[in-house]
Amino acid sequence: MRKSLFIPLLFIFLTPLFFGCIPRQPYEVVGYVNLKDLQPIQVPKQEVLPLRVAVASIVSPKGTVQSYEPLLDYLESQLHRPVELVQRRTYLETNELIATGQVDLAFVCTSAYVVGHDSFGMELLAVPQVNGETIYYSLLIVPSESSARSMADLQNKVFAFTDPISLSGRMYPTYLVQQLGFSPDDFFARTFFTYNHDEAIRAVADKLADGAAVDSLVYEFAIARDPNLAKKVRVIHRSPPFAIPPVVVSPKLDKDLKRELQKILFSMGDTAEGRKALESIGVEEFTTIDDHAYDDIRTLLSDVEKTR
Amino acid sequence: MWKKLDKLVHNRLILDRFWEIVGAVSIRTKILGLALGLVLLVGIGNTLQTRMVLIRNMEAQLRDQSVSVARDLAARAVDPILLNDLLALQDLLLETKGNNTNFRYAFIVDQRGQIMAHTFGEGFPVGLLDLNHNGNFDHHHTVLIDTDEGPIFDTAVSILDGKAGTARIGLSNVSVQQAVSQVALQSVLFTVLVLLFGVVVAMFLTRILAQPILELVEATRMVSRGDYTHRVHPWANDELGTLAQAFNQMSQDLAQIHELRQEREGLQRQLLEKVISTQEEERRRIARELHDSTSQSLTSLLVGLRMLETNCKDPDQQQISDLRSVATQTLDEVHKLATQLRPNALDDLGLSAALERLTFEWQARHKVPIDLAITLKDSRLPEGVETALYRIIQETLTNVVRHAHAHSVSILVERRDGSVIAVIEDDGKGFEVCNSQGEYHLGLLGMRERAELLGGHLTIESNLGHGTSVFVEIPLFTEDNLDGQKETHLIGG
Repeated sequence: MRKSLFIPLLFIFLTPLFFGCIPRQPYEVVGYVNLKDLQPIQVPKQEVLPLRVAVASIVSPKGTVQSYEPLLDYLESQLHRPVELVQRRTYLETNELIATGQVDLAFVCTSAYVVGHDSFGMELLAVPQVNGETIYYSLLIVPSESSARSMADLQNKVFAFTDPISLSGRMYPTYLVQQLGFSPDDFFARTFFTYNHDEAIRAVADKLADGAAVDSLVYEFAIARDPNLAKKVRVIHRSPPFAIPPVVVSPKLDKDLKRELQKILFSMGDTAEGRKALESIGVEEFTTIDDHAYDDIRTLLSDVEKTR
Repeated sequence: MWKKLDKLVHNRLILDRFWEIVGAVSIRTKILGLALGLVLLVGIGNTLQTRMVLIRNMEAQLRDQSVSVARDLAARAVDPILLNDLLALQDLLLETKGNNTNFRYAFIVDQRGQIMAHTFGEGFPVGLLDLNHNGNFDHHHTVLIDTDEGPIFDTAVSILDGKAGTARIGLSNVSVQQAVSQVALQSVLFTVLVLLFGVVVAMFLTRILAQPILELVEATRMVSRGDYTHRVHPWANDELGTLAQAFNQMSQDLAQIHELRQEREGLQRQLLEKVISTQEEERRRIARELHDSTSQSLTSLLVGLRMLETNCKDPDQQQISDLRSVATQTLDEVHKLATQLRPNALDDLGLSAALERLTFEWQARHKVPIDLAITLKDSRLPEGVETALYRIIQETLTNVVRHAHAHSVSILVERRDGSVIAVIEDDGKGFEVCNSQGEYHLGLLGMRERAELLGGHLTIESNLGHGTSVFVEIPLFTEDNLDGQKETHLIGG
């Protein structure tokens, strides 16, 4: 009697233990996947070839996407064809894509255009007009607390370059240093590349660099977007005016398409969408200038090259 | 209403059944069951609770971790994606893999839903891409995916608001389950340890609690056997100790009462003995008186009457003859009376002769045959025993005449080692022993008293229609009997 009683009692006590062993799932399971069943990734062929638009990394890749999105949407709606944004870290990489026709339309830096035009026949399509002009400057900026008043005061300091072939961010400050009788390597304690102007401004604002040279258009755009930045950086020098960074096409682009693109860009101010897209990139309208407008820059680049 | 009542009755039945079971087990089992049950209950409760809390917390933590890792990955993947730097993207995924425990996989999907980079190596698991879709959610979306390697928390974070695609990360739940299992196992092991300890403690408790009770039980049995001297050792100053003390007090009281009762019974016995012996002595005296004095006087009267009859004239002769026959009859009756009161044979010749004479006269008078068998080995029994047996047999025969209407009677008297027995059986109508009442009952009681006074016992077996048998056994040479003999002799002397 006693023994036979003990077993059911034990069973009653042990039963909750078994319930405790059942795993609890507080979250809903959405499905089952066998992680060992690996299959090659299928890449579907695109039916319509998109228009590939490159934007030189004047600002950060993220900033570029945000600024140029309305413009790309506009182009898409006008061309009735998908438009794909292509970005590369350096200007030279972008130039290469334009040269080989992997990019159809490109927003490039001034010096990249000069180099591209002269080396593989990069074609000028249009230029943006900002503040009624098609010019921009290279601005020498320092942290607002800095006592520096000119490039000479930045000797043995840390200097941030943007892109290796950027006119405003690398070539012009190099030119300034050369005028003082130094090379950048001798003159500065240390230099580094930020690969875009946004980052260069940030580097100075955060005092990672004692100075940097940046595109005046980008600087003004950045100040407008973040007024606090004006308190952190100070402009100590402004270059002579340079012809504005242009919109270019690959030499391999179909001539009809080139004309159509030109037409679309020039007529952007006519529609609300177009104006919105222009506003987003801080441009009043697109216009044309002659390639000779870039001759000063060619001279400056060759001077810098020679001295080096 | 009735249902409620039914339910109540049902519950009551279950309760009764439960108590029937629980009540039937020993205190040892109860204490052991209580201790083990408590430990088990606490252990199980604790294990389950810990398990539940642990699972909940760790899973929430894992979920949060998956979100934070995915967000970090998404933030750092922006530039490589926009710059189409697949190598940097792959490095980023591998770095994420290296920096995170529980990491199972990560991959980047571009805005067109194409996989740009992943950590699976050769190929990509079928169906994984579609399980957590980027799109209709604000920033991140976590789901639980069941896989062949266990559950995985999969978080999707849109990169640059979806403009640059989606980062997906899968963190394995296996380590959580392992940790939980380990904790649960430890908890169970601990419970088992405590359980073992509980067994030892329960054994000890059982010893402390059950031992005094068992001792009390033994002591109670001893008291019921009549041993009042045993005392229980009070173990502790608790309820059981109090019980032991109370028990000891009770034993002491019972012993006193027993002593008193024995004393009283002794006195009663002495009184009874006195009454019986006095009665016996009186009878003997009267019988002797009747025999010696009255019989002598009657005999003298008879002799006188005979002489008168011889010498007398005719008219008176008849009258004298009548008187003489009256005197003769009276003498016979006096003889008979004397014998009935106290047969001389019993004193002079012993029990055998007395019984033979008794049965002879009884048969002659009542015409019922008696089969008498006496085996006494030619020696006299103590006088008290002889008297008692004689009177018991005499009373029995009187009862046979009065009530049994028997056709035959058998009497067996036999001396055995240390005792003498007598069996008197008749084939009369019998009676219900327990229903006997009145004078008859008193007679039976008297017989039993006589036997018991001598340390013997008397048993009557009878059934309606099946006769009656009386069985008497009296021990020989006990103090009682010798005393009785001495006393009788004293009185007799």
